[in-house]
Amino acid sequence: MGEIDWFPLTLSLRVALIATAFVVIIGVALGWLLARRRFFGRELLDAAVTLPLVLPPTVLGYYLLVLLGRKSLVGHAIEAITGQPLVFTWRGAVVAAGIGALPLVVKTSRTAIAAVDTNLEDAARTLGQTEWRVFWRVTMPLASLGIIAAAMLAFARALGDFGATLMVAGNIPGRTQTAAIAIYDAAQAGRDNYALVLVLILSVVTLFLVYATNKLTVGK
Amino acid sequence: MTLSVKIQKALGSFDNDAARSRQSSTSSVEFHRALSHEGFQLDVEFEVPPGFAILFGASGSGKTTTLKSISGIVRPDAGRIGINDEVLFDSERRIDLPIRRRGVGYVFQDLALFPHLTALANVEFGMSHLPHNDRQRRAEAMMEALHIAHTARRKPREISGGEAQRIALARALSCGPRILLLDEPLSAIDEATKLGIISDLKSINRELRLPILYVTHNREEAVALGERVIVVERGRVVARGEPIELFGTPITNSVARLTGVENIFAGSVVSKSERDGTMTVEISDRSGVCRVDVPFGNQARGERVTVAVPAGDILLATEDPRSTSLRNRLHGRISAIEDKVNRTVVSVQAGVVWNSSVTRQAVRELGLSQGGEVWLAFKTHSCYLLDETQ
Repeated sequence: MGEIDWFPLTLSLRVALIATAFVVIIGVALGWLLARRRFFGRELLDAAVTLPLVLPPTVLGYYLLVLLGRKSLVGHAIEAITGQPLVFTWRGAVVAAGIGALPLVVKTSRTAIAAVDTNLEDAARTLGQTEWRVFWRVTMPLASLGIIAAAMLAFARALGDFGATLMVAGNIPGRTQTAAIAIYDAAQAGRDNYALVLVLILSVVTLFLVYATNKLTVGK
Repeated sequence: MTLSVKIQKALGSFDNDAARSRQSSTSSVEFHRALSHEGFQLDVEFEVPPGFAILFGASGSGKTTTLKSISGIVRPDAGRIGINDEVLFDSERRIDLPIRRRGVGYVFQDLALFPHLTALANVEFGMSHLPHNDRQRRAEAMMEALHIAHTARRKPREISGGEAQRIALARALSCGPRILLLDEPLSAIDEATKLGIISDLKSINRELRLPILYVTHNREEAVALGERVIVVERGRVVARGEPIELFGTPITNSVARLTGVENIFAGSVVSKSERDGTMTVEISDRSGVCRVDVPFGNQARGERVTVAVPAGDILLATEDPRSTSLRNRLHGRISAIEDKVNRTVVSVQAGVVWNSSVTRQAVRELGLSQGGEVWLAFKTHSCYLLDETQ
């Protein structure tokens, strides 16, 4: 079998961490919006951010390619600003993994924020606090368990993303080949031991994350 | 400072009911839902000068909505809310100050203490614009004044009901509000604790001179606190005034029931004497009948009437009080003695069951006990014929 190539695993961890950071910020903001504001199309927005959970990953990847590809308006703008294209780089993998994890964060944080007693938020307002401070001093601390759980789920989900990542970032060994893709590659090429090592590591890490999430949300 | 309020709001299914449904059993939830589906118009107008004013009425009469409108949590359909010359809300001029700019201290019905913060941090919460040292000093001073300094490091779940009330009060007062709103804050605690908090609040407010609007459906509290009472029923102010005059001279049946005039009986006129200025009415309840003399009125003989006698107007005697001017003297037996906040209610079976309110001292000195014989006496003019049409 020779030396084990750890690159796919470290890339996966890096992609998942960065994707989680972005997705938690966007997802909690969306979760708050859905839990606390009444606006036209609220449930439609909820449905739209849930889509990545149920769509085939290839469909998701296709959308992202069309949206972010070098010929698209968005892709063009990104390339003009950063000097690099998004697709077929590890940054593309971050976007793909993040989109897949977004529904988990939105759903979980919407539930956690909706469970915070609105009387407490009103009480903070009567004590002279702005909406921003009400969020950080009351809503967020009281929803924090749910939001931490959301972040861990998002990380676990991002770590294992396959289809969308493959379509958006490709399978370039040493550049965009994440652990999930490397497993597919190794299994196809008959490098079963290598596949098994990665499979076991991913399984254990994900199992631990989901277990810890359950402890946080169910066992409190 | 004077708070002036004039608001209108259609009430349908409402957050008050939602809040209640979280804590009450299914059957009463259904009841409240059924009530709220009818819906009614909240339409109140009143002023609160410095000192206590009681907003008094049954559950679901629109009291909490009124408080929430003043604080800005609920937006009225129309009207105007102001403190002195400053406008907090004016539907015509499209003014609607956000909650945080209203300077309104609010003690919520469920207190709404922040569960993740200590008592001290709760009290400091509204002073985030001050430096840390000032904040802590002011919070501690307020907690000292309310006798809860010892709870400073505890979380709300480790604190007794009475202490939690005081913390909520300290929190509302410490950020320097211009008015204070209290939503049935004492509903869940025992009466001795209640009296202590009321007297502390009164002594704090001797300095602050804030207009305090206090919502309750409890008559004892209204009498103990009230400089002025505003009676609300189904979204409308049906009476206002001093508690004594209000609870002493009920005008309508609904006010009488709301203000807790304990003796209300249905009866009919049996005789009239214009020369004496009296009528005799035979009244009855489930336990029997009896006759009382009431002031002369334009009711015909045989006409159905409702008679109300405030419990505080009924005198108790252990011997027949023959040589007095009191026209109504009844002989009976004590069926119950019940302690209330600042008085004791003695129930006497004398044809019908009468309630008389006396001091604890009187109960002791007369040696009153259940089953004992007593005479009841009251003036003709303590009997009010209620207007059933309102």
